[in-house]
Amino acid sequence: MLKIFQRLWQVNWAEQWQYRANLIMYLFYWLVSPIIYLAVWTSIANSKGSVNGFTANDFITYYMTLLIVDQITSNIVIHTFAYKIQDGTLSGELIRPIHPMLTNALVNNIAFKMLTIMGLIPIWIVLALLFKPDYASLTWQGILLAIPVMIVGFFISFLLSAAITSLAFWTTRVYSIHEFYYALILLFSGQFVPLTLMPQVIQNIAQYLPFQLFMYYPIQVILGKLSTAQIIQGYVTAGVWFVISIVFFNWVWRNGVKQFSAVGA
Amino acid sequence: MSPETIAVENLSKTYQVPEREGGFSAAIRSFFKRKYKDVKAVQNVSFKIQQGEIVGFLGPNGAGKTTTLKMLAGLLHPTGGKANVLGFTPWELRNEYLLSMTLVMGQRNRLSWDIPAADSFLLNQAIYRLPDDQYKQTYKELDELLELEPLMKKPVRNLSLGERMKCEIAAGLLHRPKVLFLDEPTIGLDITGQARIREFLREYNKRTGATILLTSHYMADVTALCERIIIIHHGQLKYDGGIGDLSRRIAPFKLIGVLLAESNSHNLARYGTPVQNEEDAEKQYIQVKAEDVTRVTSQMLSELPIHDITITDPPIEDVIERAFNE
Repeated sequence: MLKIFQRLWQVNWAEQWQYRANLIMYLFYWLVSPIIYLAVWTSIANSKGSVNGFTANDFITYYMTLLIVDQITSNIVIHTFAYKIQDGTLSGELIRPIHPMLTNALVNNIAFKMLTIMGLIPIWIVLALLFKPDYASLTWQGILLAIPVMIVGFFISFLLSAAITSLAFWTTRVYSIHEFYYALILLFSGQFVPLTLMPQVIQNIAQYLPFQLFMYYPIQVILGKLSTAQIIQGYVTAGVWFVISIVFFNWVWRNGVKQFSAVGA
Repeated sequence: MSPETIAVENLSKTYQVPEREGGFSAAIRSFFKRKYKDVKAVQNVSFKIQQGEIVGFLGPNGAGKTTTLKMLAGLLHPTGGKANVLGFTPWELRNEYLLSMTLVMGQRNRLSWDIPAADSFLLNQAIYRLPDDQYKQTYKELDELLELEPLMKKPVRNLSLGERMKCEIAAGLLHRPKVLFLDEPTIGLDITGQARIREFLREYNKRTGATILLTSHYMADVTALCERIIIIHHGQLKYDGGIGDLSRRIAPFKLIGVLLAESNSHNLARYGTPVQNEEDAEKQYIQVKAEDVTRVTSQMLSELPIHDITITDPPIEDVIERAFNE
């Protein structure tokens, strides 16, 4: 199995390098919205002194951290997989004795992630010099505690997107469903606005949803803003959602494959 | 395990296909109320194939050949009936099953588009858990027959159709499958390439005892490889038996070809149905019932200025064409 992943990595890494220009464009596109939120919130905080206790500096630190966390936990499976179900190219992968989604697509996502992170580093350094985030509260413990959370967060985000992508077995096209899902992420993950600034109702809902695990929760862990009890609660939530997303993905996949019509040649 | 490698019983597949008239208002109507039409792609097809057989699977476009192959390979779930291949139900997609069969279909299947075939081959080695020495041995054999080496370093997207097909077939056979489902394995290849693939498949079958079920538009593939053919049309089994018996059962006709002294001045229509024979444009051909051959031949010999005369079986294409139209 190790050798399979090793070879899959070689192939996918080589493939991603073929499209490095495309990758850079994707990176720019993906950077636009967090940087806009950063700019907007910073100028609001500057004019009013602070927003609910969040100073301009807090926003800068929050969004600069978000740039990295989001890159680690996000996935692109909808873009790399849905079309295979639509046009039938999945056929070739389905009859190989490995799981198309949990091996090839997963490795493909990670290879893509590695390259975008490599591209992000110089951009991030430039942005850090421009905005000067305040990392005084940063601790090694915070970073170490956040790493498993981000890894599990990535797997949850991957599996949920994979399940939504697999809906293409029934509907053929899934991009609009995924857009809706993306709107939920935007609202409940803490990307649009740090969750503490949301109405209490939304905060209460958000803490039980998986989306905060993609951004808000790991950011707060890194920045050392959470109490021990809150950290434990986040770990438990992550564990529960990890199990739920495995079960949910497997169920959708197994039933979806039965619907597959293997169109095309 | 059952003695048959492939056993198919009443296999059926019905697709639900959305249907609408052309035009703008029809498009709007179909947005609110979709109409579906049942398309019976395969209906109650049953057959058995023994280990080591090479069977040709024939039928016109849309007859249900590919749908049947896809079900046997496990890609499609049938709407009815049973199938058993090597003791497995294909659509359960068990790894043990996938490791021992192959489906070669179209030209974009096992090879990654953006990287050289060599990398995809190595990936397949890992996926099919092939030890290095076995992989090298199989690759060497495939290379001898298909001349792969010059193609291996180029990105697959830059290969020609025929080159890609060769690589696809090779990639599908690296794990030495016991059962081969081949959908148009020689499509896009030149005559030499087609002959090579045929030669290779025959050799592979002889050496490994593998069972092969193949579809092809090139009748030469079928006549060269298969002793038995299965014909389906409109999703139903029309014929299952020896390729030699087919002409006797379905088209009990012979072709009489004559070379005449003054070729244009005689009307051959009164002896039988005139037909074209592209392989032999010099002679004029007529088709007659098998039992009338002796009578018609002697009649023609006595009445016409004949230089040369031949009596042959009709080409297999025509026989099968006739079988479809029955």
